This record gives sequence, structure tokens and C-alpha cells, in this order.
Amino acid sequence: MMIKKFKDINYISYRITVIWFVILILLVFWSVYSFTAFYNEVVPFVFFAAPVIFLIVLNTIFVGWIRKPFKETEKMTQRFLDGYELTETEVYLTPAMEAEVKKINNILNDPKMFDLNKRQAQYLALQNQINPHFLYNTLESIRSEALIASLDSVAEMTEALAIFFRYTISKVENLVSVEEELENCKTYFGIQKYRFGNRIHLEIEYEEEEWQDICQYRVPKLTLQPILENSIIHGTELKLGTSTLKIQFQCTEKRLIIRVSDDGVGMSEEKLWKLNKKLRMNGAQEAYQNESKGGIALVNVNNRIHLLFGEEYGMHVYSIEGVGTDVELSIPAIISDKEVANRGVF
Amino acid sequence: MRKEIFRMERITYISQEVMKLEDFNLNIYEGEILGFVPVTSYGMRDFLNLLKENLSLYDGYVYYNEVLVNSWKSPLVPTNRITVIQHTSSLVEQLTVADNIFVLRKKFQGEYIRPRSLQEQLEPFLQEIQIKISANAYVSKLSVFERIVVELLKGIISGHKLIVLHEIESLLTSNELNELYGIIRYYAKNGTAFLYICSHLEETITLCDRAALFVNGRVEKVLQAEDMQVENILTVFWDYASLVRGHLKEHKEYKQSKQVVCEMRYEFQNIEAPFRFEVRYAECLVIQCLDNDMYYQLRNTVVRDDAKNEYSIVLNQKKVELHGNSNIGVIQEFASKTMLFPEMTYMDNLCFNLGSRMSGVWLKRNIQNSIRLEFKDEIEEEVFDKSISDLTEKQRYQLVYTKILLQKPKVLFCIQPFQGADMDHRMYIWTLLEKLMKKGISIVILAVNLGDTLSIADRFIRVDDKNQQYEFFSDEFASMPSVVPWQYLYEQYKNES
Repeated sequence: MMIKKFKDINYISYRITVIWFVILILLVFWSVYSFTAFYNEVVPFVFFAAPVIFLIVLNTIFVGWIRKPFKETEKMTQRFLDGYELTETEVYLTPAMEAEVKKINNILNDPKMFDLNKRQAQYLALQNQINPHFLYNTLESIRSEALIASLDSVAEMTEALAIFFRYTISKVENLVSVEEELENCKTYFGIQKYRFGNRIHLEIEYEEEEWQDICQYRVPKLTLQPILENSIIHGTELKLGTSTLKIQFQCTEKRLIIRVSDDGVGMSEEKLWKLNKKLRMNGAQEAYQNESKGGIALVNVNNRIHLLFGEEYGMHVYSIEGVGTDVELSIPAIISDKEVANRGVF
Repeated sequence: MRKEIFRMERITYISQEVMKLEDFNLNIYEGEILGFVPVTSYGMRDFLNLLKENLSLYDGYVYYNEVLVNSWKSPLVPTNRITVIQHTSSLVEQLTVADNIFVLRKKFQGEYIRPRSLQEQLEPFLQEIQIKISANAYVSKLSVFERIVVELLKGIISGHKLIVLHEIESLLTSNELNELYGIIRYYAKNGTAFLYICSHLEETITLCDRAALFVNGRVEKVLQAEDMQVENILTVFWDYASLVRGHLKEHKEYKQSKQVVCEMRYEFQNIEAPFRFEVRYAECLVIQCLDNDMYYQLRNTVVRDDAKNEYSIVLNQKKVELHGNSNIGVIQEFASKTMLFPEMTYMDNLCFNLGSRMSGVWLKRNIQNSIRLEFKDEIEEEVFDKSISDLTEKQRYQLVYTKILLQKPKVLFCIQPFQGADMDHRMYIWTLLEKLMKKGISIVILAVNLGDTLSIADRFIRVDDKNQQYEFFSDEFASMPSVVPWQYLYEQYKNES
């Protein structure tokens, strides 16, 4: 214990604390001494009050100006070491440290911005490589052939696939309306229904009087479909019997809350903890490091929400093994792209 | 459009270098009654502290009335306007109801206090919920139900938008609970949000709009109204359900033939007819009083030796005293805190009740060594020398019940043994009680609210406010007139038998 304490002397924080502690003791002694002198009527009241006032003022300055910012910086550093992003504080230890934080942020944010753009570029590349018109025309041809051959289900499936690709590939904007996103989910679910048949059901829940507003709210494109896909693949596909998937919409004065629930196999406490931790760490790096391990969809959607709307919004997963999983999205209730907090990423 | 009263977003809270809450998410809407079921109590106290105070967070954001009040960067507001009602009162006992509600408000600026004016101000609030409480009554004279209503009114009048009720079901009788539910629903309809914290999901079903399951400092699932059935989340309560199922199977036939060990005759104040009951060998009898005053009379008689009520107790056909009798044991509520001497070691506490059975237990090392040997499979060697403050909650419960096991009373009176314990601890207490019964000890549980007590009972007596008694045997628990935990198991058991 003593050795540990002795080692602490290597830290500036410890040295400042020791110096402060010594000053504090001296001031207390001075206060006691002056109080005794005042009590014995040797000195006037001012002589006693001076050290006490000095003690209070000095303590206020120390706590507000030094201790609090120091603690904030320490917390920021600790969070960074734990895997969080490096955030800026109001007060830095030195000008060099401020520059250091900004430099690290630039380095860390660069790949993330790049990756976001990379995703965008991937859509564009796919768009260019495939030539969407060729794809849509081919799908239309298949649909026509299927209709001629009275294969209605194949025709419907092909039509759904064409609509899905049109939304995913052709529209390259970052934000879309809830209505558009939900339509895409329904199309995707329709395609999955051909595979799972009556094993899966989709329910969409909302308050009737809120629906007009909800439909207009802007959400990041391809937010709901990856979550729905995740729920089907990791939740309901592994479950025996029928499953119900629900998309619930709720809005408050400032937030839009979307919950995608399934009554599938759920996940263990440890798996849930790891997943939420991954979402909490907000690590684009984390997401790409674990790309091969899967679970990228949720982290990616969460990162996009953080990037567009800020850290206060995002995703949280609730789950109990054998009961089901709920993915809850919390995003700002906005109807115009101009209201987006971080428009720079557009 | 619903208004969000309170939101905790991805809260991670570290206290004394220990992570208490991690990725904690919770939101409550205006006029909503949200159930909150702590499956484990880890982090519960910190959660309650964070509701009231905006303490420094490691991560996350707290919103009150859709305004950010606390974030990991720094708290923006010191406290939140939230009322927390729990088993300890937050009122000043020496002041009147009106003084507590109006004068102790933060923004009260009156220089002269006019009791009549305060009374007039309070009257409409009492009238709208149809409750009769005197504004000039001292808080110390109020019943538990009245105290809870006054705390609730204080919160409403102070403009608190969220009221938290923490395990109040163990303090109130079924009738009082129903009356309180009516008051809660009334204020919820008028926009106040409620967080109803209770031990069992079944208790939230009749009252709450949603229910959150709290496990190890995280909310693992929020159940919507249509999913709030125990059958839907069986995996969470599987271990406990197995215990209850096993107990019901073992006790399929209630052994009326077993000999009567104890008979008690008890006189409640202002009620002419005495309350009589008998306890059979190694059975568990639960007594539920539907009147809180009657419950406290009975409870005080069992716990304290200065109670005024007349009673007589016959043990193995001999009239005996209730107190100072080693053949009668008592375990109070919150046993892990109230039944131990914190300044003594585990071993000293364990031997405390042995003095009357064997002399020299404190001096003779061989007696203590024999105890160590006897319990070596259940208690680790080093635990015997630990002080109470170093023990885990589980070890404390173990100590309380092992002490009774050593005392070997014929009858054990337990006062709400599951009160304040989380599911893990409730399961543990459950197994300890069963162990005592297997050793031939008869158990009498006094309860206001049934909760877990019914699951271990062989027989159950309900006493109403007129001292009318209703007796139920374990195969009749399924037809209980109120919602009780494990009712679906009782129904299964009934169908099987």
C-alpha cells in the first residue's frame, strides 16, 4: 500500500493534491489560531474572519476551476481507454493537450467518415456496375414470362425484388421518410414470406392520430430493413413454429421511437451485454474489426444515427433468451433534412 | 402525441469503482403506470438514487420532461422533481399532514402559517380521491396507508410529474392496495406518471401499462401490456417456478393427521371474538390480516414483549410464554438487517440463541468447533470468523436461518420473510424455510400481502377486519379471490390433483 502511494508521486495530480492538502492544513491551523486569539480578545474579528474567508474562496476556486475540469479530463481519458470516442472538454490541462485531442479526433474520425462515404460509394459502384435499368428490365422480363406461364407467385416475387432494388440502389440520399422506409420493410418482408410462408407474420402498430405526423418524419435510409432482417435471421428463423414480428411507432414532442420486436429465440444475458456494449462504444472501428463475426447491421445503423443526429440518440437492444428481442431506436422527430444536427456528413 | 416524462438513455453508473448500472435504458410517458420488476437487486439502490439526484454518470443521458438534466459530461440540474414512496417515510412525523404537504415545500414562502387555510387548500385534493384524512393529524398517528396517500398527495401538490412506489405491496393489505390502485389510476388519467416497483410480475398486471424487467443493473426487457403474462417469460422465473412446483408435488396431500404442536388464542383490540389457530407438526401456516391495524397488533405481540393484547399459547399441551421461550423462534421482517448484531462475528451471532440450550457455549471451544464441523458443507470455514459487515446478503440470510436451526424451536414465527429481498434471495429464503420444515419445525408466517409466502404454505388463514376467518389448503390456492404469484402453478396443481 505504501509502495503504491509512493509511486503515485510520479503523477502531477498527486503532487497538486499534496500541495493543496498542505495549504489546507496551514489555513486550518491559521483559522484555529486566529479564532483562539479572537476568543481571548487579543485580535479583532477581522483577523479571525480573514483566514476563514480565504479558506472558503480558495476552496471554491480549487473545486470549480481546477478539480472539476481535471476530473472531466480524467473521465474523458478513461472513457477513451475503455473504447469510447475522444470527446472535447471545456477546459484542457495544457494548450498542447487540446491540440493533441483535436489531432487524435481528426485521425479517428477520418476513417469513419471515409467508411460512411465508402458505403455510399458502394451503392454508387453497385449502381454503375450493374446498370440498374438493365437489372430492372431483366426483372420485368422475368415477371412477364412468369405471368404468361401463369406463375403468379414468381411474378409477384420478381416485382417485389425489383421494388426492393430500386429503393436500395437507385435512391442514394441519407434520409428518407418513415413511410418510404416502412414500404421498403414491407417489400422485404414480402420477399421473405415466400421463403417462410405462414411461419412469420408482420404487425405494424401506431396511434391512429399520430400516423400522419409519423409518416413524414425523416429517418436514415435503410434503418429498419436491416433490423427486420436481423430479427428474422437471428430471432425467428431459429424458432420452431410461427413467429410474429412487430414494428411499433411512438412519437413524443422531440423524439420518434421505433421498436422492432420479435418473439423468437432471444439471446443470452452475456450476448445481450456484449451487443449493447458494442452499440454503446460507438466504435466504427469496432464494427469493421468484427465485420467477419457478424452483427454488423445493428452497429452500422447505430453509428449512422449517432453521426447524423448526435450521441444522445441511438439504438438499444432488449432481449431474454427464449422470449424474444426488441430493438429500440430513438431518433429526433424531424420533418426536414435541414434540422439534422450534423449536416456535414451529407 | 405522448409526452415523455422521464428517460434514462444508455446509463452507465459507477459508484466506488464498481459498475452498478450498465446500458440502463428506461422511459416513462405522461399518464403511464410503468411496472418495474427487479429480478436481482444489484444496482437497485443506485437506480433509486439516480432517479432523485443527478449524480455524475460514466455514460448516458437523463431527461426529465423531455429536457436534458444529466449527462455523462456533467449534471445540469442537481435533483429531479420525483417522489419516491417506500417503506421508510419521507414525512416529518412530528408535523401535521398539512404542514408536511404545504409548509415543507421548496417554494413555500408564507411567513405566517394558517392551519385553517392549509386545511381548506388540502380539502379539494382529498375530496377528489375520496379519502378522509384530517389535515391537522400528526403524521406519527397515521396508518401506513394514510402515510402513503399523504406522500403521494405531497408529490402531486408539489407538481412532481413522476411518482415512484417502491415495494409498497408488502406494506398494504389487499383492500388498501385496491384503494391505492384507484388513486394511482385517477392521477395517471390526469397526466402523472408512476413507476411501480414490485417483486412479482403478477402484481403489475392489474395496474400497469408496461413492465420492465431489471436484471443485474440493466433493463433486459420491457413487456407491453399484451405480453405481461408470467407464462410469456417463464425462462426468467424458471428456477423459482421449479422450486414451487417441486414443493407442491411433495405436499400433495396435506397431512391433517399430523399432530397439533401449537395452539394460539389472540384478542384483537375492539373485537370481541378471539382469533384462534393451531399449527401442526412441520407445517407452514400463513396468516394474512386484511386489516393493517390488526396485522400490526399481531406482529407487535410476536416481536415485542410489551404489547397490550391478551393472548395465550399452548405448546405441546403446555401453556407457555411467547417471549423468552427457546421453543418459539421469531424472525422479523428485513431479517438480514434486523436479526443480526453487526459488531459481532458470524460465529458469535450463530451461537447467540444457544445460551439457553447449553451452558458455556462462549467459553468451550469444542462446542464452537462442533458447530463448524456440523455446517462445514454449507458454510465456508473462513466465513465463521467474518464480521457481519463483510458478509454478503445471502450469507446474512443463511446466518439468520442457521441460527434458528441451531436453536431448534418447535414453532417459528416469521414476519414477512421475503420482504425487501430480490428473486435470488427470495429463492434462497424459500429453500431455508423448507429446510427448517424438514427438520420438524412448524412455521407461522404473518403477512399483509401474500407474495411468495403462499408458494411455501401448506395452509393459509385469511382474517378480515371483523375477525372472520377463511381457511384455504394448498389445493385451494388456485381459487384465491385475488391475483397471487404462481397462480398458474396452483391451477396446474389443482388440475393434476
